[in-house]
Amino acid sequence: MSIYNETGLSLCARGFSRAVFILTFCLAWPLAVAAQSDSARALFADNKAGILQIRIIDLTSGSKSAIGSGFVVSDSGLIATNYHVVQMAAEKPDQYRIEYLSAEGELNHLKLVDVDVINDLALVKADSEMTPELPLAVAEPPIGMPVYALGNPLDLGLTVVPGTYNGVNQTSYHPRVHFTGSLNPGMSGGPTLNQAGEVVGVNVSTAGNQISFLVPVAALQQLITEYRVRGHEVDDIRQRIAQQLLADQDKKFTRLLALDWPTLALGEAVVVNELKPFIKCWGGSNSASTKAQFLSADRTCRSEDNIYLNAKFNSGVIEHQFFWLQADQLNTVQFYAYYERLFSDFAPGNKGTEKDLGDYQCDNQFVRAESDLQSNRGRTTKVVFCARAYKEYPELYDIVFLQGTVDDSQATFVSHFTLAGVSQKNAKAYARKFMGVSKWQ
Amino acid sequence: MAVIVEVLGWGGRSQGHFRVDGPSVTIGRGYQNDVVLDDPYISANHLRLDATENGWQLTDLQSRNGVQVLKNSKTENSSSTVILEDGAEIKVGRRRLRILTDGHPVEPAKELHRLEQDLGRLNRLSIWLPLFLISLALDIGSLYASSFVEWQWKNHIFTILGSQAVVLMVALFWSLLGRFLRHERQFLSQYSLILSVGLIYTLLEWLIGVLSYNLSSSGVAMIMLPLLAMLLATLLLSANFALATNMLPRQRWISALGFVMLVIVVSISARMSEWGEFSPYPDYFADLQVPILQFSTAESTDDFIDSLDAVFAAADRKALD
Repeated sequence: MSIYNETGLSLCARGFSRAVFILTFCLAWPLAVAAQSDSARALFADNKAGILQIRIIDLTSGSKSAIGSGFVVSDSGLIATNYHVVQMAAEKPDQYRIEYLSAEGELNHLKLVDVDVINDLALVKADSEMTPELPLAVAEPPIGMPVYALGNPLDLGLTVVPGTYNGVNQTSYHPRVHFTGSLNPGMSGGPTLNQAGEVVGVNVSTAGNQISFLVPVAALQQLITEYRVRGHEVDDIRQRIAQQLLADQDKKFTRLLALDWPTLALGEAVVVNELKPFIKCWGGSNSASTKAQFLSADRTCRSEDNIYLNAKFNSGVIEHQFFWLQADQLNTVQFYAYYERLFSDFAPGNKGTEKDLGDYQCDNQFVRAESDLQSNRGRTTKVVFCARAYKEYPELYDIVFLQGTVDDSQATFVSHFTLAGVSQKNAKAYARKFMGVSKWQ
Repeated sequence: MAVIVEVLGWGGRSQGHFRVDGPSVTIGRGYQNDVVLDDPYISANHLRLDATENGWQLTDLQSRNGVQVLKNSKTENSSSTVILEDGAEIKVGRRRLRILTDGHPVEPAKELHRLEQDLGRLNRLSIWLPLFLISLALDIGSLYASSFVEWQWKNHIFTILGSQAVVLMVALFWSLLGRFLRHERQFLSQYSLILSVGLIYTLLEWLIGVLSYNLSSSGVAMIMLPLLAMLLATLLLSANFALATNMLPRQRWISALGFVMLVIVVSISARMSEWGEFSPYPDYFADLQVPILQFSTAESTDDFIDSLDAVFAAADRKALD
């Protein structure tokens, strides 16, 4: 009996503790939601006045032709936003004007004072003082922390989007914070705040399905400091962008060229592997195809860095591509017919138009490595090198490079890279290094 | 004095003639006439020509459709009688006739050009057949060589038949023209000519391709190929004319060259709109040849990279345009 009782009691106790657990969970859930919405509500209420809609007004039609968001970073009237929000006005100040619309409906002119084109940031200034100033977070929040993106999605009015801070993305050279939450068009340039109401990033882009990106607040802090040290607005925005592009590519390629490039086998050839954090790679082959008359294996690598210059022109991308082909069932003439088609089909990795770029100019030569020339061994390759110059930003070029072996009748190895926004010196050094690493011997 | 009644065809060319001796000539569909013309619009006894001092007096024998004088140097005709002079042209039914004296002057004989004689010898099956087989084999061979998926005849048969049909049509066109203008078809000669020029072009095009590949220069092919095409097209056209028309050598060359020039002007103006257009894609020389056709020496990586400064300089110039 007692045993039974005891057992009965203990069962009861266990049942009770489970009930308590469930209850706590049930209570805690709405409580947590309440806490979250409380802090979102508080953040919204406290910072509403400091978050603005940025509008680009077409002077001819008098209406807004683009909108974004921005926020007050200094009570002297300094406002942060994205470069891509104000780009049209930066390029054609005679045709566009920048305005802000506050939550209270106040409308006023803004003046572009500085940009950081690499991190897609811009500083605009109002004539009058603006409050409240949103404080910038000093420390990076831990991963998993709830954060709140604010802005004006689709011109619907100021909106709060809760999400999660997922740290600085490790796969791009220019740091971007991975924010799990939905950023929508029009929220660009708005702040993402932690629960203390401090800015942890600037809304910049989305990859869809809750994957969004923020510019780390450190980049904004740096731009504000540069602006304060200078003490006045930038006179020539185009020249400022040119300097930033030149300096950025110099820094990036110095680091890249100093790196010991890891390699990987592709067929009998050696190719460049992933270069962290610069490029990521994928691969494929036709080995699954039963109809294939030849073997083709490829590896494609691409950087995630894209510098926005205007709606039809971007820069900063690096691409590597490698092909290993074997004739298999094809005869040499057929194999080379396919090879020629592949060889003629390479294109740049970034987009641009005649307004911003000159036409590609190309050269091609038969090339052998020095050591091979001396020993009279090794591979003969056909190398194509094309460059196009930037019209607005001197000393910068887009490069398309292509190298393919031409001395084996049963197999070939093709390697290709494109660079966007690189100096002549760096492009040549890159070609030299690439040809030294990626080869078939 | 004999009367020559010449039956004219399209373009005023003679299709044949009747010679009638005697003071008068009757013309009609009936077999009792001196000149019998098989045309349903001509009456059985249509007209009569009587020799007079000034020419032939035309008498309409109450024909259904009458007689129309198309050309007659004698202008003064009384309303009732019509006098035809040497060289007059009349229309009877749907036939055009020229009335001539047997002393009517004819054009001096044209010199039979050596080229025409030589080309005429091409009109043999023993010449055409090998040429045809070679070009057919070349056609199929080049398709096979450029195919990198599994070869299936059904995928290529239309391409092969199509290109052969085009050559056949062109040969037929010239042959018909020859039949009309020179009364000789020379079909196999025309066919053989087109085939051999096609073969020569294919061979030279391939040679130029190998040359420009080894020189690493697309410019060589870009200049030489159109020049070659122009030259061969002019030669071919001139030979076609020689076989199919009565043109004198000078006329023939001028016509051939003129036609080729016209084609060039039209194709250039059609492409004019593309010139100087910006392209976001690089236009590089991507030609490749099989390894045994690569015989130029390679340069070192260092030399190649040093030579790239010229590319950057060219890109800078292009951006300033």
